[in-house]
Amino acid sequence: MKSLEAVLKLPLRKHWSDLYGNLTVGLTLALVTLPQAVAFSVTLAGVPPHFGIYAAVWGVLFCAMLNPSRVFHGGPNTAMSATIGVTLLPTAPPFGAEYMGYALTLGLMAGLIQLMFYLIRPLGRMLDLISEPVINGMICGIGLFLIFKSLTTFGGLPLNTEVEWPLWIAWQSLLAVVEVGNVHAIEVGLITLITCVIVQQFDRLRNWAILLGIAAGTLYSEYLSATLGLHNTLIEQIGNLSSISLVYPSVPLFNQESMPDVISIVPGAVTLALLGLFQTVAAMRRMTRKVGGFTDSRKAIFSDAVSNCLLPFLSSLPTCASFNRMWLVHKLGIHSKLAIVSSALWLLLLVLFFAKVIAIIPMPAMAAVIILLGANMINWDDIKPHLNDRREAIVFLASFLSVLLLDLFGAVIVGSILAFGYSKWEQAHPNISVRGKVLKIRGNLYYGSLPVIESMYHRVIEREGSAVIDLSDCYYIDREGIRWLAAVKAAQKVDLADRRKNENRRGTGDSKRASGKRRDRPDRRRRSEF
Amino acid sequence: MSTTALKLARTTLLLLVLAGFYLVVTQQHKHREDIRLTTVTLTPGCAEKLRRYGLVSSDRYRSPYVLQRTGSTAPLRGYSDEDVRAIQRGCNIIDDTQGKQAKDTGNERWNATRFIRGTHTSCDHCHQGIGDKQDGHGNRMKGSLSLGASWVMADMYDRFTGMLLPFELRQMQCFINSSNGYKPNIADDVLRDITAYSRFLSAALALKIGNHYDEQGIDEIPASDTPKQGDDYVRGEFVYKQKCQVCHGRQAFGLEANGQLVAPALAGPNAWNTQSRNYFNYVSTILPGFICRNMPLGAENTLSNQECRDIAFYIGNLPRPAGDREGPVVALQHQALMTFMPPLMRLTESTRKSGVSAALPPERNQ
Repeated sequence: MKSLEAVLKLPLRKHWSDLYGNLTVGLTLALVTLPQAVAFSVTLAGVPPHFGIYAAVWGVLFCAMLNPSRVFHGGPNTAMSATIGVTLLPTAPPFGAEYMGYALTLGLMAGLIQLMFYLIRPLGRMLDLISEPVINGMICGIGLFLIFKSLTTFGGLPLNTEVEWPLWIAWQSLLAVVEVGNVHAIEVGLITLITCVIVQQFDRLRNWAILLGIAAGTLYSEYLSATLGLHNTLIEQIGNLSSISLVYPSVPLFNQESMPDVISIVPGAVTLALLGLFQTVAAMRRMTRKVGGFTDSRKAIFSDAVSNCLLPFLSSLPTCASFNRMWLVHKLGIHSKLAIVSSALWLLLLVLFFAKVIAIIPMPAMAAVIILLGANMINWDDIKPHLNDRREAIVFLASFLSVLLLDLFGAVIVGSILAFGYSKWEQAHPNISVRGKVLKIRGNLYYGSLPVIESMYHRVIEREGSAVIDLSDCYYIDREGIRWLAAVKAAQKVDLADRRKNENRRGTGDSKRASGKRRDRPDRRRRSEF
Repeated sequence: MSTTALKLARTTLLLLVLAGFYLVVTQQHKHREDIRLTTVTLTPGCAEKLRRYGLVSSDRYRSPYVLQRTGSTAPLRGYSDEDVRAIQRGCNIIDDTQGKQAKDTGNERWNATRFIRGTHTSCDHCHQGIGDKQDGHGNRMKGSLSLGASWVMADMYDRFTGMLLPFELRQMQCFINSSNGYKPNIADDVLRDITAYSRFLSAALALKIGNHYDEQGIDEIPASDTPKQGDDYVRGEFVYKQKCQVCHGRQAFGLEANGQLVAPALAGPNAWNTQSRNYFNYVSTILPGFICRNMPLGAENTLSNQECRDIAFYIGNLPRPAGDREGPVVALQHQALMTFMPPLMRLTESTRKSGVSAALPPERNQ
């Protein structure tokens, strides 16, 4: 080895250990992703398992190639799969040819909408304005929604095939499971859930919880089938996966006959596109902060959009970032694209060689996995910071409740409006402190915040007869603000103070910025107008 | 408390919750099984109907109805004790969905009221004659929504959505829209027993799978079956007041007396919702067809097609609940209409009456 290293002038030992590390992480990722991919497609989206598996293979590969981030892990996603199921249930029976065609059409439309977000730059930029409380509220709401949605499969009951309000479905489904559910299916689901919960308590085994849970559920299901017979237990299984190969070409359903249905699922496509982008941007933002460094969220939008335009032609569910899997990559300590690419290849190999084992996994075990993932999405550590501030708490709760009381599309719309409303509200309400006749403004002085500032200003004038407006902590002044300041200055009752005079406004101490050139910035000039 | 102890406590609590859930499930299943084995107390209507059709537990079934009508009958596969009880429970649910004649609504009607929002709806209101409406001579009546005839079209393609619609799913649509309620799960005993009863009716009436019968569904009345006068709200209100108001009430909110339902609501919170095919503005041919063939009770087929369409148009414009798929905002709007419209209409009517009486000469006013 040493001689070879000497010849090639490469540290082969290091390369070999890196390769080994990457492949091990890839295998771990593949084992974690496989049950999720199957569960999302069958239990949530209502399509055969190979849709989720191809999303975990091709979706991950496309994202790895197109996204510059080293920890970005795409693939199937819970909320997106649930959106597909909710959108398509009223149009066609699940698992049918027409339904699958619409699922592909929905994915393609979502991809095209995402591409629009990439091409129209301000539209993509708007995604950065979606605040943390809105995203966390939606994630918690979707977590609860997933638990509700999996209840019938958990109880071995058929899915209800029309859309009602989620909370009512949840209540009726729970009663149905308790009263008429298949007891054997419930036992399998409970064993899966209990195994997952117990294994999760051990930090070393945490990432294997789902896999071990499914193994326990499958073993119990096989035991029941052996002792009572499958015709008596009536436990639904995933079924034949023999059709899976390297590529499974498909074409989205777009013909004249299907047009009314295609039009009716457009709101679903918008929801799908936005949910995907919200999660991708949020996950990218969080992970790049944790890893250190920066990746432009536009690049993530581009990779999601292009992947989702291609995946419908490969019988795949749409893809977006998975925070949990990205967190796993980060925790395993390897930040390399090779690990992510190898996870896709490992997964393909697993499916090709273990199709018969996967086929006997019982559906209630899959539902138990979804319930667990839904419960994990409701994380108290993420919720707690939002409840400390009243405004944030309101935004969080509104976003959370809108998922449960409205549909997912309504929730996305409410979430977007709340996010913009929240940021505007924050800007329009600067922190104003009054000491004697000194009015100190911390925040923006612009047309939106002027009414708040003016009311305080007039109170001080009435009380003191004159006022000093301290603009030391004022970040931004627009033309309307300048005109107002000029007007109050002209009234001879006001002094304007800026303790940063002759210094840089941002106060970084950078000599270059403090130079005369920087003083000629437009905002500086505006300040000098009065 | 240390992290390990906290983790242990949390896991134990979670496991206890899951164990409790399993305990509740097994208890509830046992309770249901006990109900399935309990002897059924029939409503008077069901006792009469099932006696007439000779429902007993035996290896072979011969329909007395068919024997009486045709003089001969072929033996069919019989019913077990379990089958008989399911058919009896199904008949009870159709006849008395609200469980007003039951000692224990939950147990005897499988909590059917849980799936219905209003207090009026009973399956028998649309599927008259406990799902098998006949005239005095025992002839099955055209467009009477017969359950037996509906069952022989067991898995039909829905003509509105083009989807294959099994009998159980069609029942779900009744629960969601016509009863403005929630759908039971397809495996629920409510649906199973109604299906058992419907299937028994088809055997008792010798109806053949896949055949079309006159009593199947509604004898729809499109606008082309009228003298092309157009549907008219004022004419509809006039005919409604003459023919329907006496039972259904002035504002069509139904009529209850001594805690018993006299006539069901055609509008207001107890009526069908805007997603139901009874809703004239959704499907304009079904309600007129129902009215013409099934109303007024005892004087069916006496209204003209135009009158039926006018009445249906009038009823269709009265306030009623929104369908679930229309979302909470529309539901709120309809709720507001149902709350504020009736007092406003009463006020308008009283003002109009007093205005008319003031304008009339004293001798005509009396």
